Amino acid sequence: MQDKEKRRHDAQDAGDRLVARQVREDPFAAAFKATRMPMIVTDPNQDDNPIIFCNAAFERLTGYSSDEVVGRNCRFLQGPETSQEAVTRIRDAVRAGSDIAIDILNYRKDGASFWNALFLSPVRDEAGKIVYFFASQLDFSNVKSREADLAAARHRAEEEVARHTETLEAAVKAKTLLVHEVDHRVKNNLLTMASIVKLQARITKDDVQKRALLAVLNRVEALSTVQRKLFTLDDVSRFDIADFTREMVVDLVGAVGRDDIRLTLDLHPVYVPAVKATPLSLIVNELVGDAVRRGLSDGGGDIHVVVKRLNGHFLIRVQDTSIPVKVDEESAEVGRILLDTSARQVEAKIEKHVDGHRTTVDVTLLVDAAQENSH
Amino acid sequence: MIVEDEMLLAMELESEVEMAGHQVGGMAVSRTQARDLLQSNRPDFAFVDIHLQDGPTGIDVGRDLAAAGIPFVFVSGNIKRLPEDFAGALGAIEKPYTVNGMKNALGYISAIIGGNLDVAPPPSLVLAEDVAVSSLRRHG
Repeated sequence: MQDKEKRRHDAQDAGDRLVARQVREDPFAAAFKATRMPMIVTDPNQDDNPIIFCNAAFERLTGYSSDEVVGRNCRFLQGPETSQEAVTRIRDAVRAGSDIAIDILNYRKDGASFWNALFLSPVRDEAGKIVYFFASQLDFSNVKSREADLAAARHRAEEEVARHTETLEAAVKAKTLLVHEVDHRVKNNLLTMASIVKLQARITKDDVQKRALLAVLNRVEALSTVQRKLFTLDDVSRFDIADFTREMVVDLVGAVGRDDIRLTLDLHPVYVPAVKATPLSLIVNELVGDAVRRGLSDGGGDIHVVVKRLNGHFLIRVQDTSIPVKVDEESAEVGRILLDTSARQVEAKIEKHVDGHRTTVDVTLLVDAAQENSH
Repeated sequence: MIVEDEMLLAMELESEVEMAGHQVGGMAVSRTQARDLLQSNRPDFAFVDIHLQDGPTGIDVGRDLAAAGIPFVFVSGNIKRLPEDFAGALGAIEKPYTVNGMKNALGYISAIIGGNLDVAPPPSLVLAEDVAVSSLRRHG
């Protein structure tokens, strides 16, 4: 107890000597005392490097009076939340006799904490020996709390965004599932529809009725193929007419099963918007179906199918050579109406040339490049 | 063997298979039924839908068939759902298939099983390699 008291006195004396050494009107000492910047001086040559002087700003900042701090090591400013790493760095700087600028959490007399931008620097005499340590403090709790507020606000915003993203992702997932479910049902229903027609065609004894049913089946199946092809591309809004045509013609000729039908294809991808897929597919279906009805399936022949872009136009050409057979007027008329109606819907022009046994049908329509690429 | 939970579709498929000159040995609507059928009456070939009465168990049926060395194809509205290796299937016929498409697929399957490998697959039959190739293209 006496020891402590003696130390306090020694420190006080050192502080008094320091101030007394200054001429009364010394502007530097006056500035030191009057500045708003909290400052202290410690004496490393005394036991435990005690504070020997503090200014009024330091008293205001910490709540301690000069009497309470002089003779004590600065560590009384530390508290439970003070970073031990910062404390170690300060201790190392003092030991090494070097400057240090560091942010450290300190505590006032009333126990309230504040962020202290500490600058600590040794003061040397002419011989280079450290005689004092000078420390200035700057309370930057406001900045720190604004930083904390900003960080908290950002954190809340990020949480909000994450929550919304999660909701959106869940919604998209639900929508995707729904689309797949609907697609699956549409496909199943188309096949069920086809199965009902097949069943009826199988049961009926009437050839005319059977022919009519198979004609209906043929168009239902064209739509089925469109539906199937719509979902094979990653982009469901576009449809490749050439791909549809290849499958349709190859399957038809394959199923007719005649070696004397020679099929040649000149197909290039032509992407059309999904809304045009059905009429265009029906056009291809009717053109090829017509060639088969006119005798290709009876006597064989050549069939050449072209799907390509030509000078900004889109051309579908079906050319066949076949020995004509007697055509069923009713089914020919149905085919004609379907062809004309579909062509009108997509504003296509149909030109038919018959030259002996060779029949050529050209269907041309303007493909708006923008529309072809649009979604 | 036909493994399909939609009875009307199964019935018409049966008729198409029989019209092509084959006999349908049995029909199953679930994996359980398919397994029983497999044990009691070993088929030469099978058509397998993916979605059955006991869930998306068609792929398991496929693996059972592959393990038993029985060739088969999937018949499904969603062949994207198939695993990359097609669970050992020869290929897949995508619904809604056409009469012509099924006829050509049946012709191709008969030829392959009969040992005639010199036939071109019809567009209606998606082979396992095709999917692997197109998915490689997508990723590449």
